Amino acid sequence: MTAKNIHIKIDELKTNSGLVKNLELSIGKVVNENYNEPMGPTPMPSVTALRNWDLILLNKYQSFYIPDCDLCCLCTFGKCDLTAGKRGACGLDIAAQSARIVTIACSIGAACHSAHSRHLVHHLIEKYGRRYPLDVGGLNIKVEAPITRLVTGIKPETLGDLDDVLAYVEEQITQILASTHTGQEANTLDFGSKAFHVGMCDHIGMEVGDIAQISAFNYPKADPDAPLVKLGIGSVDRTKPVIMCIGHNVVPSIGIIDYAKEQKVDDNLEVVGLCCTAHDITRYYSRGRIVGPISWELRFIRAGLADVVVLDEQCVRTDVADEAAKVNSPVIAASEKNCVGFKNRTNDPTDAIVDDLVSGRVSGVLILNPDKVGEVAVRVAMKVAPMRKRKNVLPTEEEIVASAKTCTQCNQCQRNCPQDYAVPAALKAAATGDLSKLIDLYEVCIGCGRCEQACPKNIVIHSLIVKAGEKAMYAEDNLCRSGRGAVSDVEIRSVGGPIVLGEIPGIIALVGCSNYPKGGKDVYDIVREFASRRYIVAVSGCAAMAAGSYRNSEGKTIYEEFPGGFEAGGVLNVGSCVANSHIAGAAIKVANIFAKRNLRGNYEEIADYIHNRLGAVGLAWGAYSQKAAAIAAGFWRLGVPVVVGPHGSKYRNVLLGRKDNPENWNVIDARTGDIVNVGPTPEHLFSVMETKEECIVKISKLVMRPNDTWKGRAGKLSHYIDLHKRYMGVMPDDIHLFIRTPADIPITMKDEIQKILEENNWKETTIPDPTLLPRMVRKMKE
Amino acid sequence: MSMFKDIPVEVGVIFEGERIRRNDLQVELGGPTVDKKFEIAKVKSMDQIEDGKVFVAGPDLKDLKEGGAYPLGILIEAAGAQLDAGLEGVIERRLHGYLNYIEGFMHLNQRYDIWMRLGKKSFQKGLNSFEIIGKVLYRLFKNELPIIEKLQITFITDASKIDSLYADALASYEARDAKARGLKDSEVDTFYGCVLCQSFAPSHVCVITPQRYSNCGAISWFDGKASASIDPKGPIFAIPRGDILNEEKGEFSGINEVAKKRSMGEVTKVWLYTAFDHPHTSCGCFEAVTFYIPEVDGFGIVQRNFKGATVNGLPFSTLADSTAGGRQIDGFHGMSLEYMRSSKFFAADGGWNRVVWVPKEVKEKVKDFMPNDIVDKIATEDDAKSIDDLKAFLKDKNHPIVAKWVVEEAVVPTAEDEIAPVMTASTLPISAGGFRIILTDAKIYASKVVIKKDESKAEKR
Repeated sequence: MTAKNIHIKIDELKTNSGLVKNLELSIGKVVNENYNEPMGPTPMPSVTALRNWDLILLNKYQSFYIPDCDLCCLCTFGKCDLTAGKRGACGLDIAAQSARIVTIACSIGAACHSAHSRHLVHHLIEKYGRRYPLDVGGLNIKVEAPITRLVTGIKPETLGDLDDVLAYVEEQITQILASTHTGQEANTLDFGSKAFHVGMCDHIGMEVGDIAQISAFNYPKADPDAPLVKLGIGSVDRTKPVIMCIGHNVVPSIGIIDYAKEQKVDDNLEVVGLCCTAHDITRYYSRGRIVGPISWELRFIRAGLADVVVLDEQCVRTDVADEAAKVNSPVIAASEKNCVGFKNRTNDPTDAIVDDLVSGRVSGVLILNPDKVGEVAVRVAMKVAPMRKRKNVLPTEEEIVASAKTCTQCNQCQRNCPQDYAVPAALKAAATGDLSKLIDLYEVCIGCGRCEQACPKNIVIHSLIVKAGEKAMYAEDNLCRSGRGAVSDVEIRSVGGPIVLGEIPGIIALVGCSNYPKGGKDVYDIVREFASRRYIVAVSGCAAMAAGSYRNSEGKTIYEEFPGGFEAGGVLNVGSCVANSHIAGAAIKVANIFAKRNLRGNYEEIADYIHNRLGAVGLAWGAYSQKAAAIAAGFWRLGVPVVVGPHGSKYRNVLLGRKDNPENWNVIDARTGDIVNVGPTPEHLFSVMETKEECIVKISKLVMRPNDTWKGRAGKLSHYIDLHKRYMGVMPDDIHLFIRTPADIPITMKDEIQKILEENNWKETTIPDPTLLPRMVRKMKE
Repeated sequence: MSMFKDIPVEVGVIFEGERIRRNDLQVELGGPTVDKKFEIAKVKSMDQIEDGKVFVAGPDLKDLKEGGAYPLGILIEAAGAQLDAGLEGVIERRLHGYLNYIEGFMHLNQRYDIWMRLGKKSFQKGLNSFEIIGKVLYRLFKNELPIIEKLQITFITDASKIDSLYADALASYEARDAKARGLKDSEVDTFYGCVLCQSFAPSHVCVITPQRYSNCGAISWFDGKASASIDPKGPIFAIPRGDILNEEKGEFSGINEVAKKRSMGEVTKVWLYTAFDHPHTSCGCFEAVTFYIPEVDGFGIVQRNFKGATVNGLPFSTLADSTAGGRQIDGFHGMSLEYMRSSKFFAADGGWNRVVWVPKEVKEKVKDFMPNDIVDKIATEDDAKSIDDLKAFLKDKNHPIVAKWVVEEAVVPTAEDEIAPVMTASTLPISAGGFRIILTDAKIYASKVVIKKDESKAEKR
């Protein structure tokens, strides 16, 4: 508990022991500290405090830049052409410029999560007070904020304590963003280190937001049995008024739910969410519905399903207001970050706002008070729903055919489609009355609408696709497990044995957005592949929605098929974007729980521990946002490998290890100080995969770590080899690099692997107590 | 996979987690609807074994009607110069893993409780005879356990034959258990060490003796013996017991040497049978933790899955945190459930007579191994939710520890460190006694005042 700005003034105080006159006592901050852990070397690290650690990683995994753009147009000296080794007016070359853009993207992402958390913390303090206690899992969680403790050295106990944590984050983001101004940072490695730093801050920002909202809104608390909630457009009861909330900040949605409950109309209307707000709605209100990821925005609005659209922040289509106007859906903008040009009506009488929206005098309003948003949204929805009669702008089938006939097959739609889908072919077929190809497109379309923008004939291609896929759309009635929040300490302890004994081959986290190369089914397939093989699979955000959107042969969704615990074969939805912090948090807690390593201000040691020991891999298959970049960067600094789908190459940078270069793979054995070559474990820190198959195989390889016990390594190799054979059709060519002792060889493959080892001149080595930090070498105590 | 290229289905670790549902079922073997079923391993002499032979007594898989459930006995007979009957349990438990490696074959439970399912798809692929399963088992056993020199496998489905063998198997399990539990630390010259957990807890070493299971509950002395003989350089290794330095506390020179070497000198002395002074270290995945309760001078025990707070107000997670990470913490001890069944269970501290609180789930599991007269005197979460409750309960039931209280009450200072002082005398000069302090127009500014609880006053024992 921390108190701030205490001021005591005593004019005169007479006691037996003394006399005090005109005493003024002013204390900036009183910290009541019952946090006994000794402070590590780097509490609240400055921009350069962890630079040495960053350089160790950045030398092991060297940046490979993929310039998505050859020009720099950030200052007025430009545009500068940076091709073929040329430098710009400021002196930067293309590598440094690419690195700079990475750092900028990560800063935007970190700012976004942290500003979201700042708003939550401000709002919750205002509502519940600074002393409101944090509780993320009751007695089952000892370390409530692992990232915060690790980085800042603060153990937050109340909402008020989160203030100091955010203040640190905000300063760091400002410093990093400043370093990207023209004429500041010059070196690619330093830009890399700065991206790591701001990524680390991003994780704190996310953690602060989620532990604040879990505590104050009483979300499921580290609960493996968090309720199963409805997911998909088909799960929405279209006979009731529908309020659709888009974005990431749940506060206005909670205003809506509270008002509806208070007025006892909650059963008479549907509160549905899109993107992460949806997750957080269901964590608060299990009758809430998750419509889907960002890609479902256009289809839901154009189908006329939303009677009121409420916008908060992040990943909200900026043309929602125009789209909503076409179907007469009133819009309420509810975030300072996203005012959409509407008039600020926060202080106007509610009746007047309701009246204006219901009558259509205004198409949208800005309301910055969540309680007022709640009242306006509910009242407007109840009134307009009967009047709107579900106006939709989807074409009829006849109109589809007619429209498709105007297509000149210029191919602009396909050229602009991020996934290069064969839209012209689908239109050609549609022109003959065959809609099957459009229906196929519905299944994989990510709903960006670029095809329409590109069409010189103004065909509303996306609407054609949605109409053709209407039947499938209304059949989307699935289940998602409501976000459970953190992983409990007891769950972590329980998997220690199975991990060292090789029964759990690794931990995979599927996070992030929905820019999928072939639709969300890939995410489902990846989750199911690994969960069936008894990996622990964590999911969050849009990936958690994609995972829940399909069913197995018995008709069960992934959340019904697999348990929701942090356990072998568990599929655990941690929650929204900010809940991603619990995944890194769980990794950090492993070091504390099993090795009793101190967390407090002890970043480098813990990252070294995680990097060398914890077989965890992050996958953002549909990553599109700057936030996803920041999340990835936070994992990089912890030494956790991240894989992205094909569009991830547009982040401009990958961090690749060279398996052909043995020196790359030396670690220090902390027991002896000896240098031990451990092979490419893990091979890359950040890599891009083109196909689902390649991705699955790669992940199974990336879970290997230098500390694996022989049982653990044999298990991991079994899966790697099996998956490689299954998906690539051949044995992998690098098995010998991962076998340290004969015991590592999976027993069912002894003969063939022995042969491979002989062919590759393999030599036995040892299993070290691995570290990259010379200071971690232990000295024999006498 | 070349090792199994003549087997019609795949064999690999990846099938371990495979479940076969009723709809996909070809036949069920054993399971809840079948009375008599068993699997057993027997060590024989070399001349009694026909190496590689698979016998099927009774109808084979292809003769069993689809969808039915049938009795089954599996008899593994092994011979080898280094094998002895003590390893039968180890060999037998391999069956679970091996059978599950077979694509479309599921195995659950062990001994007389086995439950297997063969899936339709695998049956259709040609897995239609026990001979094939036997071949797979034979190769896996010989590959993983080279100490098995000769091996023959018998599958029995003939109900009349099962009857007599079943009784025989039950008797063997009982005899084996009695022997294992009767084996004393002082009777063997080798213990086993396990450093598997060092991959996550780099300074922890588990010592496994006949009377003390590994902390995780997964490795017995017999398992240790098997692993160490297969791979002497591996993470489970033999520890020559050495001299008995302290019989009561359980101190052995061999253990001290290994602990010192493997912990880099952090731990130089280990006492196996006590939670005090030099207790065995704890990793992180122990099944239960023992914690000393100074107010009653007894032990509480809590298992990993216990929900809520224990009798001293702390949950498992906090108590476990007090002892994890390969440290020796006086009064705290991570351990397996099986250790509670050992006659050396905290023998130096009074054994079960020193235990005052244990959750009922654990009590139920181990009560047959407690002295009869103590069972009802140990409180569970139903009897005591606080130290005061506990004291009353122990007095009421006349727990043996109560007798000790009278003597010690005068000696043990009560711990009164619960309330953190707002400011201690040394940091608040105004309150210094004996002086008159006059402050006039004083201004005191502090940018930050840190108030810390004084931990030095915390009492443990």
